[in-house]
Amino acid sequence: MLHLRNLRVTIDDYEIINIDDLALQPGARLGLVGESGSGKTMTAKAIAGLLPNEAKVSGEVNFDGQNLLTLGDRDLAKVRGKRIGFVFQDPARSLNPMMRIGKQVSEAIRIHTNLKGQAVTDKVVDLLRQVQLPEPETLLRRYPHQLSGGQQQRVMIAAAIAADPDLLIADEPTTALDVTVQEEILRLLISLSEQRKMSLLFVSHDLGVVRFVCNQVAVIYGGNIVEAGNIDNIINRPQHRYTAALLAANPGMPKDDNFSAFIGRRLQTITGSVPPVGRFPSGCRFRNRCQHASEKCATTPPITVSASDHRYLCWHPEQGGQS
Amino acid sequence: MTSAATSPSPLVAVEQMYFHYPRARITAGGAGWTLQDISLTIDLKSTVGIVGESGSGKSTLIRVMCGLLRHQQGNVRFNGKDITEYQGDGANELRRQNQIVFQNPRRSLDPRMTIRRSLTEPIRALQQRTPDDDELVSSIKRVGLGPEVLSRFPHQLSGGQLQRVGIARSLSVNPTILYADEPVSALDVSVQAQVLNLLMDLRDQMGLTLVMVSHDLGVVSRMCEHIVVMRHGHIVEAGRTSDVLSRPSSDYTATLLKAARAASLERS
Repeated sequence: MLHLRNLRVTIDDYEIINIDDLALQPGARLGLVGESGSGKTMTAKAIAGLLPNEAKVSGEVNFDGQNLLTLGDRDLAKVRGKRIGFVFQDPARSLNPMMRIGKQVSEAIRIHTNLKGQAVTDKVVDLLRQVQLPEPETLLRRYPHQLSGGQQQRVMIAAAIAADPDLLIADEPTTALDVTVQEEILRLLISLSEQRKMSLLFVSHDLGVVRFVCNQVAVIYGGNIVEAGNIDNIINRPQHRYTAALLAANPGMPKDDNFSAFIGRRLQTITGSVPPVGRFPSGCRFRNRCQHASEKCATTPPITVSASDHRYLCWHPEQGGQS
Repeated sequence: MTSAATSPSPLVAVEQMYFHYPRARITAGGAGWTLQDISLTIDLKSTVGIVGESGSGKSTLIRVMCGLLRHQQGNVRFNGKDITEYQGDGANELRRQNQIVFQNPRRSLDPRMTIRRSLTEPIRALQQRTPDDDELVSSIKRVGLGPEVLSRFPHQLSGGQLQRVGIARSLSVNPTILYADEPVSALDVSVQAQVLNLLMDLRDQMGLTLVMVSHDLGVVSRMCEHIVVMRHGHIVEAGRTSDVLSRPSSDYTATLLKAARAASLERS
């Protein structure tokens, strides 16, 4: 349903994104995992046509057979918000502080559906109920500051699904929330995607969260998708050295609740830090931080596709390519 | 964090401590307090993790314990002496022994100062002396950075490097206890592990007492022998991390643990 091909985004001659192939099937939940500056948010913005003006974009963002990059503003507006919904990181900043909750959600309904009058209010109440907010009738009249962060994010999700989108793009939707609230919101996103057969593109820096929500994952570093495939395959048998290093550096929680064996255990580290945008090395983007890099890594690695559509860009894969 | 029997004189002892911020309205029912009825002890050379949701009072608690904020009721003792009694040179000594590393290293270093000057300041202020170059070089090397960093400004360093500088700065006055307030949550995932390992190594090498505020139960269960779980300004539960997390006695800790487990990777 969503298929990115040869998507390239540059700003001031710096290459921000270079993705040659990334697909999302109907109803699937794909995690796009990367650190700051990796290009994960820019990829989401490129799909939504929300890139800054100075960005140069080429390639294809195919959504249901249309290349969104070639659509004019008017046609794009019919897709964006209606067929593709968005949820961003900080709900407090995405909601209008001066507008009652009911009005903010109804805006999305008025723009994207033909409903009028009481039918709009009924729909708002229904949506707020679907995102499991208590007493939706009273909540309508509240302002964003009267809600907790988790409730605000539920309102954002209600607005995003107002027009029954086929795809929901959620960019770090729980990063600003407490861990207990995070779990509730993640469960909500999973159940909405299942009930509505809605695909989810879940952008996150956290592989633990992605494992909980998604069935597929794409790891992005330096604007390249370095590895993609089934979430369990990638977590259990990562091929790209960056994915493997990222997994090893994750503090995680002890297996079988063996807390006493966990104490004092050092983490595996990745040397150096993520380069600023545009300063990634040529060839393999990760090679200046990789312990296994050789001269060969200065040239762009080929895409290896192994069984069950597990694909990666690495000259020296973790398990010799056995996935 | 252990019973009085095993440790007759804890390094920090907090007793029925209450704290509110200025202009908070305290009601008869106890609303308005940021911290209520806090009692805990911290032994020399132990590592304590403080967890809880945002707004639970974790950061306020460590600021009261290290003397940056003044409590209104109850007692806070450092080395057996009430912290309100540390005056004059004593106040400097209290600050020297209680150092803190903040969440956002970019905001906690003066952007107009070179790293050299940022490292010199606490030594001048708290020990009334000017460190020589050798001392600064060894201080920066201890946190895994090269001497070339000394002449740089904060904007020339990455977040991970800056947090190392923040740690070097706190350790430059040779503290007894290091408080770290979410020291890695502003850092990239691939850099977090470096800084967490560094904190563990320095704690071991220097015999530091480490008190860390974190929202990440995984990090706390890896680094801290003792844990304090906070909610709404109260301590919900405290004890040895492995005991508390294996057999939580409060529903809140159990909920926290379940949520953390759901969204974390399992590591052996």
